[in-house]
Amino acid sequence: MIVRTTQLTKRYGGFTALDGCSLTVPEGEIFGLLGPNGAGKTTLLRLLLGYITPTAGTASVAGFDCVRESLEVRARTAYLPGEARLFRRMNGHRVLDFFAGLRPGCRRDVAAAVARRLDLDCSRQVARMSTGMRQKLALAVVLATETSLVILDEPTANLDPTARAEVLELVCEARAAGRTVIFSSHVLSEVEDTCDNVAIVRAGRVVHEQSLEHLRRCHRIHARLHGPLPAIPPALADSVTIAAQQAGGVVLEAGDSLAPLLGWLSTLPLEEVRIEPVGLAAIYDRFHRPG
Amino acid sequence: MWNTAIWKKTWGDQRVLVLSLAALWTGFPFLYIWLSAQIPMPAFQDVLLRAIPKDWQRLSGVPFTEVATHAGRVALAFVDPVVVLAATVWGITRGSDAVSGQLERGTLEMVLAAPVRRLAVFVTQALATTAAAAVLCAVLFASVCAAIAFGPWAGKVDAVRFLPAVANVFGLMVCMAGISAGVSAVDSYRWRTIGILCGFYVFSILAKLVGRLSRPLSWVGYLSVLNAYEPQRLVGDAAESWRLLAAYDAVLIGLGLVAYAVGAVLFVKRDLPAPL
Repeated sequence: MIVRTTQLTKRYGGFTALDGCSLTVPEGEIFGLLGPNGAGKTTLLRLLLGYITPTAGTASVAGFDCVRESLEVRARTAYLPGEARLFRRMNGHRVLDFFAGLRPGCRRDVAAAVARRLDLDCSRQVARMSTGMRQKLALAVVLATETSLVILDEPTANLDPTARAEVLELVCEARAAGRTVIFSSHVLSEVEDTCDNVAIVRAGRVVHEQSLEHLRRCHRIHARLHGPLPAIPPALADSVTIAAQQAGGVVLEAGDSLAPLLGWLSTLPLEEVRIEPVGLAAIYDRFHRPG
Repeated sequence: MWNTAIWKKTWGDQRVLVLSLAALWTGFPFLYIWLSAQIPMPAFQDVLLRAIPKDWQRLSGVPFTEVATHAGRVALAFVDPVVVLAATVWGITRGSDAVSGQLERGTLEMVLAAPVRRLAVFVTQALATTAAAAVLCAVLFASVCAAIAFGPWAGKVDAVRFLPAVANVFGLMVCMAGISAGVSAVDSYRWRTIGILCGFYVFSILAKLVGRLSRPLSWVGYLSVLNAYEPQRLVGDAAESWRLLAAYDAVLIGLGLVAYAVGAVLFVKRDLPAPL
């Protein structure tokens, strides 16, 4: 595990920004952090980077304690803040020069190549760049840094669709190169397309962890019933649940491969059967949509 | 404790201010001496020694008889607002940028994502600021020398006598920059840091004035950092001037260094808020 937090808590006076967060992130995968604004995602990331100290609990990156060995942690981590702000008086080239000089492992040529891929004009002064261009510049710095962990806090916010797709591709390339990426985002489709695992954060707590590979195998079966629904056979009890049943309709949720279910489904008094993937949105809504 | 990239960036950040102040301090001594020379010495002495009440001497910090000399008149340039305010503005501007300025702009976030110690960031910036203050004081001294050598009072004043006064200006710059950096280290908004420092500066001026003008309240003067800024007293006897300078700059630079040290400790330990 490259990241491990145990009961990590951050309080500001009476306000608890992060509440007993215990999380592990395996090496070499893209790990999504999902949650609405103020859920505690950024607090968690800032605790990992040592910007803030925990009120309770511990966190480590690559075995190094995030408080006592912050320098070692940051040597192994590249971080893109939620709203990356760069030096307004410099132009893009000078920003890349600065970060290449500041941190070992940040390769100037790779940064320039990433900037080119993102179609960024580095000759422009940062003050004259749009928010999206500044985001691209910061991404060029972060993705050009050779670290085992990359933390991206809403990396595609403010980007146009082309750049957004390019960034997701770069994130997947980072994984292919053996790096671990923590990816915080509000865009469920992006997370679903790129991440291996996600953690859903709500009101400072990690309320659910989900393997995307498993989720891709989960399906929902919507149908109209024209008779009583028989009990689920014991052999299928582990792989199917009744998610909802009301007024002649039923929603079944298949937690794994559909194949073993199909035979049983064909015996049921069902009409207008519709099968669809469960999708991350449904999981997210369980925790974040009232009712 | 040192970071070359931060050193270069800090020089880039302060370049415009350094060049502006260097231009100001290059031209000012020429203008000041030329304007002063427009009032002939006998007329100046007449006004100073006869027309102004002797009690007001306390305000100048030196006897009027010393002021009414060529050296004394040049020395007044160092207490002119152009020099004092510029030195103060320098200190507050650079010091306030150290932490709260960068936090407010949000630029500290990506810098500290790199494996760089906060202490190295703080110390390197302090060193760059101090080095620039030294460069500016060198410019001021060179300009005073040139203005004397090529001005209307050529041959009447020994320019080397003003070296302690320039060193006192340097002390004030280090002091104000250090205190500003100390406040900046615990603050998150630059405008608030600047406000606090402006209040501190106004208090220092008032405390010095009260201490000078009121005998029963003379102790109030010791509450002012400006009590250790007396360049006009540093142009007399060389040995006495250097002795006084050592005392003044020990206070000013000492205060600056203590403020830097406290600021560094607080900056290293504090939580850094996310940029708003």
